[in-house]
Amino acid sequence: MIRMQNAGFAYDGRTVLRGLNLHIRPGEFVAVAGPNGAGKTSFAKLLNGLNRPTEGEVFVDGLDTRRARVSALSRSVGFLFQNPDRQLCRTTVREELLFGLRLHVRDEAEAARRLERALADFALDPEENPLTAARAERQRIALASVVALGPRLLVLDEPTTGLSHAECRRTMEIVRRLHREGTTVVLISHDMELILRYAERMLVLAGGTLRADGAPHDVLRRADVLAEAALLPPEIVQVASALGEPFAGLDTDAALAQALIEARASAAG
Amino acid sequence: MKGMLQYVHGTTVLHRLPPLCKLGLAVLLSALCFATGNLLLLALLIGGSVALGALAGIGKQTLRTLLGLCKFSSILFLLQVFFISEGRVLLALPLGLAVTVEGIVFSARLCLRLIGATLPLTVMLAVTRLPDLTRALERTLRVPYRYAFALSTAIRFIPILARDFSAVVEAQTARGVELDGNLLRRVRLLLPLCVPLLVSSVRRIESAALSAELRGFHLRAQRREFR
Repeated sequence: MIRMQNAGFAYDGRTVLRGLNLHIRPGEFVAVAGPNGAGKTSFAKLLNGLNRPTEGEVFVDGLDTRRARVSALSRSVGFLFQNPDRQLCRTTVREELLFGLRLHVRDEAEAARRLERALADFALDPEENPLTAARAERQRIALASVVALGPRLLVLDEPTTGLSHAECRRTMEIVRRLHREGTTVVLISHDMELILRYAERMLVLAGGTLRADGAPHDVLRRADVLAEAALLPPEIVQVASALGEPFAGLDTDAALAQALIEARASAAG
Repeated sequence: MKGMLQYVHGTTVLHRLPPLCKLGLAVLLSALCFATGNLLLLALLIGGSVALGALAGIGKQTLRTLLGLCKFSSILFLLQVFFISEGRVLLALPLGLAVTVEGIVFSARLCLRLIGATLPLTVMLAVTRLPDLTRALERTLRVPYRYAFALSTAIRFIPILARDFSAVVEAQTARGVELDGNLLRRVRLLLPLCVPLLVSSVRRIESAALSAELRGFHLRAQRREFR
């Protein structure tokens, strides 16, 4: 789905990203983490052609992003911006969803079918005004307008910023469902718990380079990477690590609680 | 037009001039553009503004602004030139439209005036800190604080709006909007994009006003009126 070969990106004479070599296969759920200014958003924009690599090459769904138009890439790459207000431009949810569909889908019946499906999937009121909806609702409408286009790759730039725990979970469950249906997901996030819970693979960017690439529960135990990228692992990982073996490898509340109960029982027995 | 209307740090003569001197010079240059209709003089006034920009060490930025203004003016020029039918006809077009010598001269004058009146103000703002300008307006010209503050805030919002608009365009491009092709198509596609910009601007202005109020803006404005 995504192939980067020695890719780099410079802006206003400043190198933001350099020496990126990676391959993301179709259907993967990849999270990208790193400190502020690490180049996470620049990385995300390399995937839909808004940023074109200034060195090396980036291929997305077989298209060379140095040459492909952003509109051509938008057929396979859905991009959710951190601020939904930049995406929303219509006065009803129906019109908002149709805005993108009319650009991508020539068949009116097909556009209507996709619209109805998105409205149902995201439980949206078609007559609601997206511009006056609550923050979480606006984020959901923006995501629905992206998903309605049926992208094979979904790039989410900090999709849960400003959302409550419940809203965050609701949004991420939608993303999880899309991933299970075969969509490749690239999630940019600061939230390590979110990454641990949803992603299959984790990339860590720091200083414009790729510092780690692996399963989240492995990456989040690498002290050198965490220190370099100023990342704090989720509390459950910290507690499990502090307890040492045999708990150190556990990364969910349930697994740790179960292991502690078993350990106590065996100690008592 | 990145960086337009934003202060550029420097220690040149222009930077060191009192804010009101710079404002006066910019207003004078702008006023001269409206006082003369001579194309050569207008071009010289624009050249003078570019020279001032170079003197202030912001030559490249001034040229970038000039280029942006030229692009905008060229649209204005085209809109004007076809709708003035008086004078010697150079090119007759269908629907009663024509390109005339008078039309070209009038349109060129209009565009040069627009550029000539705008450029010195952008140079002045690039070499003057907004708080200094606000203070000078308030203390020397006795402009009530709330109006001086409103003026500086409005100026401060322009680059923010420009950045927001770029972000909105970027977001819509990512959705598949192709912002190229002919002018009409571009205008048709750009118009809906003004909606999110307007909404975010209103939200931003509202929160800025609330924030100022919560930090006692009203108290300061009141005290100033009592003096």
